[in-house]
Amino acid sequence: MNIEGLIAAAVRMGTPLLFATLGEIITERSGILNLGLEGLMLVGALTGFATSYMTGNVWLAFFAALIVGALFALIHAFMSVTLRVNQVVSGLALTMLGSGISGILGKAFVGKPAAKFQIVNVPGLSQVPIFGAFFKMDPLVYLGYVLVPLLWLFIFRTRWGLTLRAVGEEPSAADSRGINVFLVRYLATMAGGALTAAGGAYLSLAATSMWIENMSAGRGWIAIALVIFSAWEPFKALVGAYLFGFVMSLQLRLQAVGVAHVSADLLMMLPYLVTVVAMILFSFSETFRKRIGAPSALGVPYAREEKS
Amino acid sequence: MKKLFVVFLVAAVVLSAFAFKVIMVTDTGGLGDKSFNDGTWHGIVKAAKEVGADYEVIQSYEQADYIPNLSKAAKEADMVFAVGFMMTDALFKVAAQYPNTKFVGIDIVPPEGKELPNVLTFTFKEQEAAFLVGYVAAAMTKTGIVGFVGGIPIPPVERFRYGFEAGVKMFAKLHGKDIKILRGYTQEFSDPKKGKDLAMSQFAEGADVIFHASGACGNGVIEAAKEKFAALVGKANPTLEDFINYYYEHGKGFFAIGVDADQDYMAPGAVLTSAMKRVDMAAYYAVKWAYEGTFKGGHMVLGLAQEGVGMSPMRYTKGLVPTRVLAELLLIEKLIKEGKFVIPDSQEALDSFKVPPIKFPF
Repeated sequence: MNIEGLIAAAVRMGTPLLFATLGEIITERSGILNLGLEGLMLVGALTGFATSYMTGNVWLAFFAALIVGALFALIHAFMSVTLRVNQVVSGLALTMLGSGISGILGKAFVGKPAAKFQIVNVPGLSQVPIFGAFFKMDPLVYLGYVLVPLLWLFIFRTRWGLTLRAVGEEPSAADSRGINVFLVRYLATMAGGALTAAGGAYLSLAATSMWIENMSAGRGWIAIALVIFSAWEPFKALVGAYLFGFVMSLQLRLQAVGVAHVSADLLMMLPYLVTVVAMILFSFSETFRKRIGAPSALGVPYAREEKS
Repeated sequence: MKKLFVVFLVAAVVLSAFAFKVIMVTDTGGLGDKSFNDGTWHGIVKAAKEVGADYEVIQSYEQADYIPNLSKAAKEADMVFAVGFMMTDALFKVAAQYPNTKFVGIDIVPPEGKELPNVLTFTFKEQEAAFLVGYVAAAMTKTGIVGFVGGIPIPPVERFRYGFEAGVKMFAKLHGKDIKILRGYTQEFSDPKKGKDLAMSQFAEGADVIFHASGACGNGVIEAAKEKFAALVGKANPTLEDFINYYYEHGKGFFAIGVDADQDYMAPGAVLTSAMKRVDMAAYYAVKWAYEGTFKGGHMVLGLAQEGVGMSPMRYTKGLVPTRVLAELLLIEKLIKEGKFVIPDSQEALDSFKVPPIKFPF
């Protein structure tokens, strides 16, 4: 097996997961649990593809997916922040809605050709042996590289990030400090939705250049697991997403070199097995568990106490 | 005027109630799969237009939809189509409750002892079509490695593989070549990215012709072949002519082989041929029989001899295949149709498949 090819495949497999995971990290950091990732990815994939098909401009298509993703996530924000309904139910509804809508509206685009992101070699870096595989990618992969440290800085080193975390940990305390909890949660959910949709758009604009119903194929769910795996932290999300991408592409490669005597089903389980094992290991380590802590107010709707 | 309108309306309602109605329930692949859902639908529409029947389609979005969709269809229609192996149980459950509705199952075998007089099922000898494309794949590989990409290893997918492998084996034996087969499964039918990655890893292992039987995952396989071939040609968007010229100048390329429908058009030049399953023919005749009153329950297996399966006419790539190979194919096809030798339809049959000692008269 050639190592460069495996690295490249792992990164490409991992990138849609990375975008969705980063998106969900932002959302969950504000205390909103959004299980609608699968639906958001599909809506993003279709929006991206349809825009690319009609305009031929891949960047325009990518931004269209971001915007539509944000608007689609607005539904979840409205349901869980304003109406304070059960976030699990609302998230699941979003998944079904997204897969249904994209399925129906996407019928016209099945089998059509559209423009896609082309590979751009980074001068110099792409010449490095083995390591160079990371720099022979499409622009969206590079965007992923850049986004991770930026998001980390945003969450942990800026005032806005502090606000975001405060809302997710202690919304009432944040509220008493004059932070608009509702607004923060709305914005975080929409930003998360936009990034998740970007993960979907990666599938139809960079990984392949086609639209097929339900083409996200469960990646939204993997991303939700990855958020826990990454302990709500962008750098670990990068490691997790690429690790998953690695395991997924490794199993395809193992089949190709004829290790297929190991059951294909077993190989398919590998990514999920890795998650479970990782989570068990984490929970054994006391210091880690303290650090991994989910946002305290995750999934809890916030209502201002009535002043009597 | 108003009275006339009412009479007209009543007449229309009465007439439409008497019109023969066909409803097709798709599997989760749905219409637009460019494969057997679309194929069955084409057959139904063609026949229904000829006999003047009404036709409708109900899409299934997940497996839990099968029973409610089939029941709904059975209440409204005279004839119901269930498309896809995955619908077997649902079809026989619902059909038992509606004995007056005619049911047709495509790619479905009646479970033992559950045959019903109102259910006609069709399966296809996928292996016979796959055998022919396997033979061509083996003739066209320059690296001596060919690939197979399956979806979920359900019986129809596996029959494609058995036939493909037997076809490769046959060519290798008759021409004294050593050809390796790579196999892989995406474990689903709707993720083109996975199909593409699997194909890419087989190409990376040296394969240059890949046959897919993986539904919409296969769109990714075809895209992979097109990209690899385009990179070889050195153009971002090569035309059919570019592919053909390159192949003639350098004698190599990357090819995908399509499945179910004629998928050659999906990437002209990079799709070598397609192993077709004529679900449209099965659907067409079933509707005709029902309308003419000759519909009988039972199970039919359609092969090359019944024109239920076949190879695409290779509209774009025929010129690339050596004439001798095309001639050999014709003879082999004839022998299969005459039943001179049987294509394996199980793993055991494949393992014990002996290449018949064919002497080509040319």
